[in-house]
Amino acid sequence: MSDSTHAAHTDGEHNPYVAHHFDNMGQQAGAAKLGMWLFLATELLMFSGLFLAYFICRMWYPDMVLGAHEYLSKTAGGINTCVLLFSSWTMAMAVRSAQVGKPGSKEDAAKIKKYLLLTLLCAGVFLVVKYFEYSAKFEHGMLPGKFYTAHLHGYEIEGLPHIFFGIYFIMTGLHGVHVLVGMGIMIWIYLRASRGEFSHQNYAGVENTGLYWHLVDLVWIFLFPLLYLVK
Amino acid sequence: MSAQAYLKGKEIENPVEVHHHVAPVSLYVIILMALFGLTGLTYAVSFANLGPLSLPVAMAVAALKASLVVAFFMHLKDDDRYNLFVFLGTLIFIGIFFGFTLFDMQARDALNDEQRTFVRAEDERNAGNSPAVGISNDPARLAAWEAKHGSHDEGAEGEHAEGAEGEHAEGDKAEGEH
Repeated sequence: MSDSTHAAHTDGEHNPYVAHHFDNMGQQAGAAKLGMWLFLATELLMFSGLFLAYFICRMWYPDMVLGAHEYLSKTAGGINTCVLLFSSWTMAMAVRSAQVGKPGSKEDAAKIKKYLLLTLLCAGVFLVVKYFEYSAKFEHGMLPGKFYTAHLHGYEIEGLPHIFFGIYFIMTGLHGVHVLVGMGIMIWIYLRASRGEFSHQNYAGVENTGLYWHLVDLVWIFLFPLLYLVK
Repeated sequence: MSAQAYLKGKEIENPVEVHHHVAPVSLYVIILMALFGLTGLTYAVSFANLGPLSLPVAMAVAALKASLVVAFFMHLKDDDRYNLFVFLGTLIFIGIFFGFTLFDMQARDALNDEQRTFVRAEDERNAGNSPAVGISNDPARLAAWEAKHGSHDEGAEGEHAEGAEGEHAEGDKAEGEH
């Protein structure tokens, strides 16, 4: 566990996970990771459009955004932030366990699986908290566009709250879909780890899952202060 | 593989070997603690009334948290540089997207007022001698229109007295010719 373990200098030694069209694992993993980063770039651009919608809404109707955000639960948002940050750590640890794992070692595979399970658990907690948040909003009629009925439930929010809740639901909803997809990918990676596929010889799959999961965390890092904590 | 390859500005001998870097667990724990600490800070700051400063402060803290995640959890600090290039390139394009759109959204009304883009066209239409919308914003086209119909300001009163309908038709004709 030194600071810089070059565990995967496998030149010369045969690595069964290298596909025939790559020279070696370094090239293969580098290509996979570059592809993942390009995908993350498109993800960032997609979310940036929603963030821009938020900023324009905020620029034009600052009082409405201030008034409407009071109805979002800071506690729920704060808990979810901590849960996601912690899950990012467990994910990073899963990747690290794969990086230092020995091929064929049951113990090392169990370590990867443990951290993946913890990450999955955090994702589950996140969605459960989100479920309670969403049901409260549904109950109070704080919904997007034409579905907005909060005024019938005794909430008078100044301005155009149906637009704010439109932005809120689309942003957190798309983020929530990403959490769901991430859980699916993690289950798949968990099954592959159970088959003993991952070790220092081959961990690009775990690492790319990690990159995706950290992006989900990254988006939430900006969503939380903007939607829940605005002043 | 005879091509030369560089990592962090230094030539590397074996360009296709794995350049992975395994960070110690303690580093990951420190980063996690820093992220929790900064979250607490954002939370606390949201209760302090910083006025117009609160958004930049919240965004600065979020950016710091995001860079910790990207640099350490996503390994960009020690990764091959082309991944960093992809990430920073994306940020530049997001910056262009945000910058131009927000500037336009914010400044368009003021620019329209300053240049009287719609006000002048409205005035002219009300006066019944409107060159079609757009002509009055283009000096060359406006000059051509005036050469044909006489100067605006002089003509306005007389035409007004004669009645709006006919003049409006003339304006439309002028539009067609240009």
